[in-house]
Order: sequence, then structure tokens, then C-alpha cells
Amino acid sequence: MVSPSSQSPEPQNRLRVPKRPSQPVAIQIYRPASEMRRPMQLFRRMGADLLASRELAWQLMKRDISAQYRESFLGVAWAVIPPIVASAGFAFAASAKVINVGTTDIPYPAYVLMSTALWQTFSEAVMLPMQKVGAARMMLAKIQFPREALILAAAGQVLFNFAIKLLLVAGMFLWFRLAVPPSIVLAPVALLHLVLLGTVLGMFLAPLSALYQDFQKGMQLLLGTWLFLTPVVYPPPSGEGLFGLLVRFNPVTPLLVTTRELITTGTISDPQGFWLVSAIVFTGLPVAWVVYRLAMPYAIERFSS
Amino acid sequence: MTLVAENTQAMTAPKDSDVVLSVQGASKKFCRDFKSALFYGMQDISSEVLGLRGDKNDKLRKKEFWALQSVSFELRRGEALGLVGKNGSGKSTLLRVIAGLIKPDVGSVMVKGRVAPLIALGAGFNPVLTGRENIYANMSILGLTKEEIDDRFDDVVAFAEIPDAIDSPVRSYSSGMQARLGFACAIHTDPDVLLIDEVLAVGDSRFRGKCFQKLHQLRESKTAFILVSHSSHTILTVCDSSVYLLKGISKGYGRTPEIINQYEKDLFTEDTNISNGFIELDPNRKSTSNGLDIESIFFRDHQGKIVNTPKTGKEITLCIKCKSERTFPKLGVTVVVKKLADGGETILSMNCMQDGKLLSINSGRYEFQTRIEKLGLLVGTYLMDIYIKDDGLYYLDSFETFRFTVESDIFSNESLYFQPRDWAVEPIE
Ligand SMILES: Nc1ncnc2c1ncn2[C@@H]1O[C@H](COP(=O)(O)OP(=O)(O)OP(=O)(O)O)[C@@H](O)[C@H]1O
Ligand SMILES: [Mg+2]
Repeated sequence: MVSPSSQSPEPQNRLRVPKRPSQPVAIQIYRPASEMRRPMQLFRRMGADLLASRELAWQLMKRDISAQYRESFLGVAWAVIPPIVASAGFAFAASAKVINVGTTDIPYPAYVLMSTALWQTFSEAVMLPMQKVGAARMMLAKIQFPREALILAAAGQVLFNFAIKLLLVAGMFLWFRLAVPPSIVLAPVALLHLVLLGTVLGMFLAPLSALYQDFQKGMQLLLGTWLFLTPVVYPPPSGEGLFGLLVRFNPVTPLLVTTRELITTGTISDPQGFWLVSAIVFTGLPVAWVVYRLAMPYAIERFSS
Repeated sequence: MTLVAENTQAMTAPKDSDVVLSVQGASKKFCRDFKSALFYGMQDISSEVLGLRGDKNDKLRKKEFWALQSVSFELRRGEALGLVGKNGSGKSTLLRVIAGLIKPDVGSVMVKGRVAPLIALGAGFNPVLTGRENIYANMSILGLTKEEIDDRFDDVVAFAEIPDAIDSPVRSYSSGMQARLGFACAIHTDPDVLLIDEVLAVGDSRFRGKCFQKLHQLRESKTAFILVSHSSHTILTVCDSSVYLLKGISKGYGRTPEIINQYEKDLFTEDTNISNGFIELDPNRKSTSNGLDIESIFFRDHQGKIVNTPKTGKEITLCIKCKSERTFPKLGVTVVVKKLADGGETILSMNCMQDGKLLSINSGRYEFQTRIEKLGLLVGTYLMDIYIKDDGLYYLDSFETFRFTVESDIFSNESLYFQPRDWAVEPIE
């Protein structure tokens, strides 16, 4: 006779999964009133959500990067092909005297390659938050998770893509036997400011673009024009004309130029401009964050059903 | 309904520490017009950011309507609440407000602990990535750390029963497989409140059974849940109390059998104007008579009194009044009962010839009676088809979709039918 106690437990009754360690139970209250009316609570939540979103952002970033490169034959090469094509095109045009650019600090192809990589990093930083929110619409409408994770994942992906482009730039430096100044150690700081500027813009626009497709399309168009108002394929103009003025007041100019200068020459031509724009970025960041956060439920309620 | 009154009183002071979810007068307005909806969206965003939006936004703007209006209820640890209502009655909207995905316009929602919404299965799945990668992404969206997921990974795969497919892209999964994976991810996150919106309808019946078993287990470990389903049987089986939504308004809140009864009654009163549980047929409804015509169909209780609603477990007699023009020595009566909701499947079929009883009549008026000593049908609305044949072969008359509702004083959750029974205990020498 088999006694009942010697029977192995039913697999369903295993419940091997331990209950999560009993944390203090979080009480959430959802009210109709604007969260701006309880700013302290809002800021506490923002901090908590930012912390909580790191892990998720990492998972999302891994997921998106591997998805981005998995389903294409050329894979990672897509990060480096656009700057190569752009720089080859412009170098050819310049050598054939189709366009006339001034003299650059470093050989022109290297200059264009490097600047295009930086510009594309900026433009990705603007576009990716919008694209991420757009792609996550289903998820946003159905699961509650810290919305900050999408932005962090977007920023992470921008940096990852830049890291790949960096290999290309390094190759170019070796090819042209260019010396690297010690100031290059400061370049990541400047680059971060450039990425943040893009992210701030992207964050402002992300919930709106979830409502109106027009924002994303319009931004794409704007970036195409913006490129030519930024010293990417030409050196910073010294002239005062309308064009010179536009380039000067373009907020991307000081950040992009400074990053490039830190990598190539080591002498910064416009430190005031750099710090001014950086100041704007760092005040804009929390504002954009609050707007993004508060606007999200309203965007979600319009596209979900 | 008294329960509503009681509960709304209790709501004002949620002292009970076991309450994990309390919804108080929640309302939500929507706009069907796409252009205006976007414009209102921008308007709402601006007033939210500028702090202008208050706690009472009860004015409808042009083209807006209430998708949810003053809904209140509460849920305690380990409780299961059913949510029923027609399509578009606001069930999913209510769940989305509870999950904090959208903000209420009036009222408030208090949640204690973690909410896992299962509003759609596999919402976070990326079709390009493998099942394994998606489990990690999906469960971290639901709020777990990598270590916690590592811990549960095997259980999730075992529950979803897709060990072979775990390393192939989710795109190659069948929809049932995706559903399994999504459900497995959600229930392995140990939520305090689980919101289930019709997701159990997919998947084969074995998997459904497994899900219900798991839900039962979760309830015992004090997880509360809200279940949305169009299957009255599912709700009756799983939930003790239910909320019935009609056009965003809570029409009832209380014990499930009563709520289901009310819901099913409402569900079908609009599209049929025949009376409920009693019908008198138009003598001219047929162009030709086969010699026997049904005049009326109704029920009598144990005292012979005509009643409209039979009661579960009580004696009831189905009566069919007929007029006959000649002699029929061998009449056969067939009665088929179908459940109105749940796809109208047949649940009872009775035939007097099979029961070894042939009825014989001469010309004149008769009342056929089918006496049922203890009715086995549970609460709900049913359709009855009646066929009368001569010698079990020649069609004489029939009536289809006679509608009636069964009421009950018997608590019969988790049963498919009522089994008449007696209990006893006997001493053994
Ligand atoms: N994002 C939205 N914008 C405008 N109207 C919406 C939106 N979401 C839902 N609605 C409307 O709100 C009402 C309630 O919808 P909801 O999805 O909550 O219904 P439901 O009870 O879940 O229905 P079902 O049983 O079909 O799932 C419907 O009339 C629907 O058209
Ligand atoms: Mg729904």
C-alpha cells in the first residue's frame, strides 16, 4: 500500500514562485485633477519612476537594438552606411568644384564623415522618442509602466548607434593619419549635451506626435532643412549675412561644432555659445520631462480603445 | 437594489484594510469624432500642464459622451468581481482607468499594491524576437527585475506549454500560443490585483481550464481580480459578486446570479417583443393547418397557478395548449432548451416518445403538460423550441424560440446545472 503522504505533490500545486518580498504596499490614487496641483508628489513620482525604469529601459533597448539589426541582411552596417554615402557624395562634389566649401581643419572627407555622424546622432535623438512612443502605442494603451523607460531606451539606442559610427570615424583618422588631441576625453560631455538637446525636443513632441502624425512628418522635413543651417558639410561661416546669422543662432551649431573641435583640433571656437545652449538644454530637460509625463495619458486615451 | 446602497455607503469610508481597490464615482468622457477628439486632447494636455484641470470635469463638450458614468465599487483581497455588459458598455474603459492608463474625468480610483492588466494578451510582444527574449521584455514591463524573471522563467515556459517554440520568433507563433505566453507572463508576476479583459476566450478549452485553475490558486493566495467576460457561465463560475454596466452606467452591483439574471433579461428584451415565459399565438399565423395547432405556451407551478419564471430546484409544469381537428393516437412532443447567451448551445432536449410515452387525443382542445419535479436549469435566460409530430414522423406544428427566464434562490456557483439532492448521515452498527 502506498501511503498518501509519499505521493509527490501535484505539479500545479508547487507554487515554487515565492511571493515577492513584502515591500510596503504602494497606494496609488488616480484623480482627475492636474498633477501640477501637487508638485511635490509629482516630483517624487518622477524620481521613483526614473529609478524604476532603468531595468525596463535596458530590456527595451536590448530588444529594439537586436530587432533593428536582426531582420536586415546588412545588419549593423546600416549605422555606418549613411555617413559614408553622405561623405563620399560631398567629397566628390567638392573635388569636382560643384559646391564650394571653405577650408576645413582636417581633410574634407574626414570632416564630412565626422560631422555627419554627429548630425545623425542629433537627428536620431529627436526622432527616436517619437518613433518609440509610436511603436509602443499598443503597449502604452494596455500596460502601465514607467513611461520614462521609452525615452531612456531611445537615448541608449542613439548612443549605441553612435558608438558604431565611432569605429568608422576612428578608421578615418587612421587612414588620414590624423593626430588626436588630449581634449578628446572631454568630447563625450559635449556629445551628451548634443544628444540631450535632441532628446528634449523629441520628448516635447512625442506625446503630440502620438496624437497627430503631422508632428513626426513635419519634424522629419524640418531636420532635412536644418542640416543645411548647421556646419556639417561646410565649416562655420564667418560672414554676418542672413545665412551666417541663422547658422549662428541655430542651437545645434555650438554643440556640434564644439564636439567636433574637441575631437579634432582641441581649440574651442565658441565656448560661450556652448555653455549658453547647454544651460538651455538643462533647463529644458525637466520641463520637457514634465510635459511628456503629463501629456501621455491624454494621448493614450485618444488612440486606445 | 439594496446592495448598491449599502456598498456606496461603505465606500465613503474605506477603513477596511483588506480593500485593495476602491472606485468612487468614476466617470470618463470620450469623443467619437476623430478631429474633435484630437483637438480636445490638445486642450486637455494644455490644461493639465498648466495646472488648470480640476477634480470635476463634468461638462460634456460638443460631440462628447459619457463612456463611464459614476461607477463605484470596491474589491477586497482575494475577491473576484465579474464585469458584464454589452459591447461598448464601458468595461474596457473602466479597466483602463483602474490600471491608471487613462485619467478619470470625475471621481477617483484607489489601488493598493500592484496591478497587472491583461487587457490584451501579448501587448508587449515584439514579433521579430524570440519567445525567450519577449518573456524578459514583457515581464520587465510588468515590473519585475531580471533576477525575478530568471527565477520564474521555467515556470512561465512550463505554464505556457511552448518549450519547443521558445527560441523561435514570436511572429511564427499561432495566436493561441501567443495568448498562452502572454497569460503565463502576467500571472507569474504576483499581482495584487489582476484585470482580465476577455483574454480567456482564446486558447483551447484545456488551456482555459488550466487558467481557471490558476486563477483559483491566485485567489487563495489573496490576489483579487476583475474578470470581464461575455460568457455568463464563466462569470457565474468564477465570481461571487458582479457589476453590470449599461452605456457606462452601473446598473447593478451585487451577487453574481442576480446580476447575471438582470443582465441577460436586459440583453434580450430589446430585440424581441414576445412576452417573457408566456405566449399566446396568433391563430392565423400559418396559412395551412396540419390538423393540430399550438395556441399558447406557458408554465404552471406546483399549485397549478400560471407563472412566468420557473425557479431552479422547484416543481414546474410546461403547458402547451393545442386545438386538434381529428384523432391522433400517437403524438410525439419534443422540447429543446437552449441557453440564450453563450452561443445558444442546446442544454436540454426532451422527447416524450423517447421517454416511452405516446400521447393520444381526439378532436377538441387539449393542454399538453410536461411536469418537471425539480428544475435543473440554473439562473439565466433560455430559448425553447417545441415540435409536435404525429407518430413521431409527420410534422404537425412547432414553435421556436419561446423565451423564458429562470430565477433561483439556490446558490449554484461553479455548477453547470442544478442537481436535486438530499443529504443524510447514518450511524453504522
Ligand atoms: N479612445 C476612444 N475614443 C473614443 N471613444 C472610445 C475610445 N475608447 C472607447 N470608446 C467608446 O467608449 C465606449 C466604451 O468602450 P469600451 O471599449 O469600454 O467597451 P466594452 O464594454 O469594453 O466593449 P466590448 O464588450 O466590446 O469589449 C464605446 O462606445 C467606445 O466606442
Ligand atoms: Mg472591451
